Amino acid sequence: MKQHPLCTDCENPATPLDLPIPAALKQQWASVETRRRFLGRSGKVLGWAALAALFGQTGLRSYADGEEATSGEAPNRTSLPHFAPKAKRAIYLFMSGGPPQMDLFDYKPQLASQFDKDMPDSIRGNQQLTGMTAGQARFPVAPPHWPFGQHGETGAWVSDLLPYTARMVDDLTIIKTLNTDAINHEPAIMLMNTGNMNAGKPCLGAWLAYGLGSMNDNLPTFIVLQTKTNPKENNQPVSSRLWSSGFLSSEFAGVGLRSGADPVLYLADPAGVDRNVRREMLDTVEQINRQTLADVGDPEINSRIAQYEMAFRMQSSVPELVDLTREPQSTWDLYGLEARQPGTFAYNCLLARRMAERGVRFTQIYKRGWDVHGDVVGTLPILCGETDRGAYALVTDLKRRGLLDDTLVIWAGEFGRTVYSQGGLTKDNYGRDHHPRCFTAWMAGGGVRPGITYGQTDEYSYNVVKDPVHVRDFNATILHCLGIDHNQFTYKFQGLDQKLTSPVPASVVQGLLA
Amino acid sequence: MAVVSLLAAFLCGMLSGCRQTTARRLDFNADVQPILASRCFSCHGPDPEMRKANLRLDLAESALRKRQHRPDAIVPGHPEKSELVKRIESTDPHYLMPQVAHGDAKPMSAGEIAKLKAWIKEGAVYRPHWSFEAPVRPAVPVSKTDGAWVKTPIDNFILTKMEQARLHPSPEADRAALIRRVTLDLTGLLPTPEEVAAFGNDTSPNAYEHLVDGLLARPTFGEQRARCWLDYARYADTYGLHYDNSRDIWPYREYVIRSFNANKPFDQFAMEQIAGDLLPMKNLDPLIGSGYVRLGVSSNEGGTIPEELLVNIARERTEAFGATFMGLTVGCAVCHDHKFDPTTQHDFYALSAFFNNIDEKPFNDDRPVWTPVVRIPKATNQTAYNDVLAQRSDLQSKLNEMRRNSRSLVSQWIASGKNPPRPVSASGLAIRLRLDEGSGEELKNSAPNANPATFHTSTLKGEWGETTWLWPDFRMQSSTRVLMGNSGDYEANHAFSSGGWFMFRSAPFHPGSFGTLISKMDSTQHERGWELSAEDGFLSVALVNQAPKEPILGKQEEKAAKKGEKGRKEQQAKETFNYPSPQDLSKRDLAPNKPPEQKKAEEDAAKKDKAEERAKKKPPPEEPPKDKTPRVAISVVSLTPLSLDGAWKHIFFTYDGSGRASGIQIFVNGRALATQILSDNLAGATIRTQAPMQLGWRNPEEHPAKDARYQDVRLYDRALDPDEVERLPFEDYAAEIASRPASQWTTDQWHVMSEFYLNHVDPSYQAIEREIVSLDKQLDRLSAGGNLTQVSWEKPSLAYAHVLTRGVYTARTERVEADTPHFLPGLPPGEPHNRLGLAKWTVSPANPLTARVAVNRMWYELFGTGIVETTEDFGIMGQRPTHPELLDWLAVEFRESGWNIKHMYKLMVMSAAYRQSAKSTSRQLAEDPRNLLLSHGPRFRMDAEMLRDIALQTSGLLGERIGGPSVKPYQPPNIWEQVSYPTSDTLHYVQDHGDALYRRSMYTYVKRMASPPSMDTFDAPVRDVVCTRRQRTDTPLQALITMDDVQWVEAARALAQRVIHEAGPNPNRRINRMSEILLAHDAPPQMAAALESSLQQMQDHYAKDPKAAHSLVEVGEKKRDAAIPASELAAWTMVASEMLNLDETINK
Repeated sequence: MKQHPLCTDCENPATPLDLPIPAALKQQWASVETRRRFLGRSGKVLGWAALAALFGQTGLRSYADGEEATSGEAPNRTSLPHFAPKAKRAIYLFMSGGPPQMDLFDYKPQLASQFDKDMPDSIRGNQQLTGMTAGQARFPVAPPHWPFGQHGETGAWVSDLLPYTARMVDDLTIIKTLNTDAINHEPAIMLMNTGNMNAGKPCLGAWLAYGLGSMNDNLPTFIVLQTKTNPKENNQPVSSRLWSSGFLSSEFAGVGLRSGADPVLYLADPAGVDRNVRREMLDTVEQINRQTLADVGDPEINSRIAQYEMAFRMQSSVPELVDLTREPQSTWDLYGLEARQPGTFAYNCLLARRMAERGVRFTQIYKRGWDVHGDVVGTLPILCGETDRGAYALVTDLKRRGLLDDTLVIWAGEFGRTVYSQGGLTKDNYGRDHHPRCFTAWMAGGGVRPGITYGQTDEYSYNVVKDPVHVRDFNATILHCLGIDHNQFTYKFQGLDQKLTSPVPASVVQGLLA
Repeated sequence: MAVVSLLAAFLCGMLSGCRQTTARRLDFNADVQPILASRCFSCHGPDPEMRKANLRLDLAESALRKRQHRPDAIVPGHPEKSELVKRIESTDPHYLMPQVAHGDAKPMSAGEIAKLKAWIKEGAVYRPHWSFEAPVRPAVPVSKTDGAWVKTPIDNFILTKMEQARLHPSPEADRAALIRRVTLDLTGLLPTPEEVAAFGNDTSPNAYEHLVDGLLARPTFGEQRARCWLDYARYADTYGLHYDNSRDIWPYREYVIRSFNANKPFDQFAMEQIAGDLLPMKNLDPLIGSGYVRLGVSSNEGGTIPEELLVNIARERTEAFGATFMGLTVGCAVCHDHKFDPTTQHDFYALSAFFNNIDEKPFNDDRPVWTPVVRIPKATNQTAYNDVLAQRSDLQSKLNEMRRNSRSLVSQWIASGKNPPRPVSASGLAIRLRLDEGSGEELKNSAPNANPATFHTSTLKGEWGETTWLWPDFRMQSSTRVLMGNSGDYEANHAFSSGGWFMFRSAPFHPGSFGTLISKMDSTQHERGWELSAEDGFLSVALVNQAPKEPILGKQEEKAAKKGEKGRKEQQAKETFNYPSPQDLSKRDLAPNKPPEQKKAEEDAAKKDKAEERAKKKPPPEEPPKDKTPRVAISVVSLTPLSLDGAWKHIFFTYDGSGRASGIQIFVNGRALATQILSDNLAGATIRTQAPMQLGWRNPEEHPAKDARYQDVRLYDRALDPDEVERLPFEDYAAEIASRPASQWTTDQWHVMSEFYLNHVDPSYQAIEREIVSLDKQLDRLSAGGNLTQVSWEKPSLAYAHVLTRGVYTARTERVEADTPHFLPGLPPGEPHNRLGLAKWTVSPANPLTARVAVNRMWYELFGTGIVETTEDFGIMGQRPTHPELLDWLAVEFRESGWNIKHMYKLMVMSAAYRQSAKSTSRQLAEDPRNLLLSHGPRFRMDAEMLRDIALQTSGLLGERIGGPSVKPYQPPNIWEQVSYPTSDTLHYVQDHGDALYRRSMYTYVKRMASPPSMDTFDAPVRDVVCTRRQRTDTPLQALITMDDVQWVEAARALAQRVIHEAGPNPNRRINRMSEILLAHDAPPQMAAALESSLQQMQDHYAKDPKAAHSLVEVGEKKRDAAIPASELAAWTMVASEMLNLDETINK
């Protein structure tokens, strides 16, 4: 793969002196700063892994162990990544609302004969249902409305609703037995993203930003993209706590990249301020700040100078990122013309590829609307139409560019849906309630085994019968692909070694790995 | 925070180095416990689930005890005999300790090993964790050097510590720097140049003290303190989940400001917030303050399970209370005993029980009014209102007092033998399902000579013990069946009666579940049989020979009913509220706010979609043919509906065997209901059926009363007298309890006896209650038109919670009464086990935490780092105080000063430590890079709100109004829209205009699911959880805000205008004026030169590009001063922006 000029990651770890700051300033840093001070500040730009590697056993550790809080001496240093990563970056296509697994991937041909028959009580057991269907007197089976077909060399079954996804099944690792603890959106989407149903914990992207740092001096480490909502769909909300840094420093939180004039909030200079004026302003501010530094001796001032410079660079690098005018025709052939329209899923997928090239560590694209309590027949084709091609194009594009080998692509929602119908069931329509016990996700690229379908559910796509993958296991596996041992990747907060996969033990799903 | 802890190792090393040189004995808390905690406790600590080898090292008695067949872990005085030492020194990887979860050992450092050995050698003396022992005021140390530097006792502590580290204090900051710092700290705003000058010229010896006193008296002091407190209290304007709708609670913010400005003693302030509803009241402040409890996130997601919500809410409040008042991470014990602190799961849930007894629904209905709420009278009625309120409060105190003494009142009553509770004769009692089994599938029929003696639940067993009424309850799950065979097989000429205690479960969007309560009725046989049921709150009883297959209250009856005086259709069950919620809340009060106006384009699109949908929609399927069976039955229905308040209700009917509808009577809580007759044409036809008698369903699976709760269900084969029915709900059970000696009564039984005594026996209690009702009406009237705010209101029930295995809401184990953690002092004697008891405990002198935690946060606000750095964690894994004696001295001083908040702030800012110059030397940086020993003054970036506030203040834009509802200043587009639920009332951010754009940032609307980005970027917490310590990051996104945000650009322009007006034409003087305004000093020559040269360039640029100049000076909604030429103003705007972006400006 050819290195994109804006991606500053390379096999040789960067040094703090590679920071894009004036040479004179670097000299000044070296003289004023203690080494510790210096490290503490530059880590956010370089990533703790790089720093740890740089400074070896000097007694300074990455954020990741942090037991210094109570013991006087430094314990063993944990270096990140813990082992050679298969993936350097990840792109997470988050299907918020809970896609119905039995309509898309979890093929159950025998359901056709069960139309409107009651799902046996034994299948449901003593499950506490949501308030929306708990009162239903009956739980009639709603077989999927659309036919399935076998695809690729591996012969994976995929619904006809996903013709593009069907083309790439040989690249996918399809997991049918993902399962979660929560039956409602708020807790489930939190659990999926942060490993905990309650607010306050860092999300996967923040953990990665904190642990692995940036591969780019001009763009945020962790970027979140929202897909435009479609009023025909039931758009469950998302919130900034899904990309928050929780108890980690807030610099690791996801930065929203927005469609429109200001791709990053407050990025654009105000009306009447051009680049020269901005440069002049920054030079003056820096000059005075350096004087203040000399006067007061507060080393934080160095950091402030560097952050202003980074802000200035972002003002150019972000517009460059979202400028699609130089994309070749082949891009539009692959992604479709929808990708020209900011805010569409296809557009976001294209941006995700451009960010991968430029060294963004983690990109998460939210697509809302999968909460199909009613009118599955009416809405599901719309949802699939919006997302199928973009996801396919992204994986294919990454593959063509040689980026798929070290990029992990993930497609998942927060839970699945019930095989029984919520509300009325007719031949042409049905609804599906939330279902935590099994749902389907897929991964592709760095670290995972392509062309497999993992796990097995019962004939009602209701219970896992073989190879369950809990959300925590799923997250442990994602971290593994990125070179991180989820058990060692901890941060001391409130006296505990907090981790993405706590508190119940989780394990990497070996069967998913390449 | 992270950066901060990164350097702690270094400093700790340094401090311990100092200790070693003095060769004193080891301090268990400072030296030993941290090692044991971080290295050993995860396997040998308080959590029994994780404990290995049955060895517990956090307690002396278990660590030092002789262990059978095992080597002694610690032998005091003999490290060489201690297994612990052998293990940590071992070279055998299988023997070596500590081990970590995944196999490899993480050996201790040589220093740690040496300390542990020395401690064992010295006798292995354990001491309680430092923060769990009540602080005692230590002697103020005397310093060996620099004694002249000392200004307050604080300084003695600071100085002695510095001496140990061979550091020296810095000189006092110059006057300008000092007034800037102290004004920012006490008011959140900058001093004006005039104030700076006045202070500079004040030569009196107590000039600084005058300054401080003046600042403490300013109303902006209350705002600044409140701003911090809102973080500690997790204040926000929305619920934070799902719809994330708005909530009415901003009066709480005003209350906090008011409290600080009135210098309300902290103990009172704390008590009001924890239990204001239970305190005597002269005005509404205590009640408004109790909104603190309810500030957390709350949900109304459609599918949520009410019991899960209840558990989550209690948990949230408990964690918040732990963080705000105790400085402990009690939430760690939600799933298991705390791994390090002694907080057990039992402790956590006993604490959570305090917050589990508020008179509220677990879901908020997505409306801003989530009762209980109080309506605040308008100013004109305030005096009259407060008079009535005080009367009410007196009466309420009497009731509370009676409740508190209810055990002795009940004992006296029983002993007196007067008015003993009279049982209901068990004659004819065929079935009595007490439903107090608490588990399993077998239901005991406790009627005398019961036949059969037990019934079994089928399909799915019921849910036991989710709530407590007479005893822990029984709930029918969605498919639970209770079949009672041929019980109740009567002909219509046979008298019978049936009913029991019921609670209709409600869930978001399902105000109540209704249907068949008790039946012996067969829907496969034209509904033959009898049934007690409820429909939309209307209770009905029917004895049926045959009927069309429709609910008993089907269309026919509806028609019949409509012929009556009032159509039932129009009459809906009204939601009733208990005090303090006004009884006359209007529909509008109770409706969710509508989403603000949609954008036109979106609206059109939605309309188009809807039209398309309509066009596509198929005609509804044909209804199945109507059942033409004629109706032969007797039935009656209540005239008025039951209220849907989720309360337990005793519902009972009697039937006299007359064969006529007039023979049926329905009772609620022992009182007969007015009914109307729906059918009366049975005429001797049979009602007997083979269908089994059932709870909650009509045979076989029709008309369910979904998920209702049941207690003490009875069937008599006789008609009970009204007098008997009146005694059924309580008195009959009270008689049963009274038949046994009081010494055998359970807490629940005492509770039943008290309730019965107060509500039915003692006329004085009831008389006071009646008086209160009339006062409440006056209060409602006097508060008409006022603002509503959410408050707490305690239910009369006992405060219980369940210990939950792994925190799973369905995994209930032990039921626990509200209580304080076992390792801290108990509730003050005689105090009730409710929030009032908790509040008194929190501020009792015996409580070791509250005062320390509070003074530590004050210190943190002023100095940037707490004496205990982990302001949120005073537990074993928290940081040790850098100055433990100082912390205790301050804590005792705080308490003994009468919890005087202003006194404490004054004490701190008067200290020499605080007044030091912020300049640091390279030696200070090297020895103490984080300035934990305070050898120079504090200097750090201001908080988000302060930054925006000083930009508004210095530019003259800031409004001075205090309090009021939240405002929506500038915000980039599409922040809310892109994350919100489409019907949320916070879907669209509708920006305010005019003065609302320029109010202090503490009034900016906080939507939890999309907090204000300009605040968020500067580390303002989202307010999902309590935050007692903000992060202090420095990121490029912050620079973008202060350079590009409309608010800041507009402020820069206004500041430019201001100096142009105030300083005249001379550029030098203008620059100097800006420096005076922002930095409180003249512009030093180098700064002035840099700015002047920049000004030159800007002037050249904007002179050449007037269009750009115009664009720049038009930014923002405040009209610019048109008298100043645009190019001139633009150039100065950029200079002002430069100044606003200086490191010196944004640091305090």
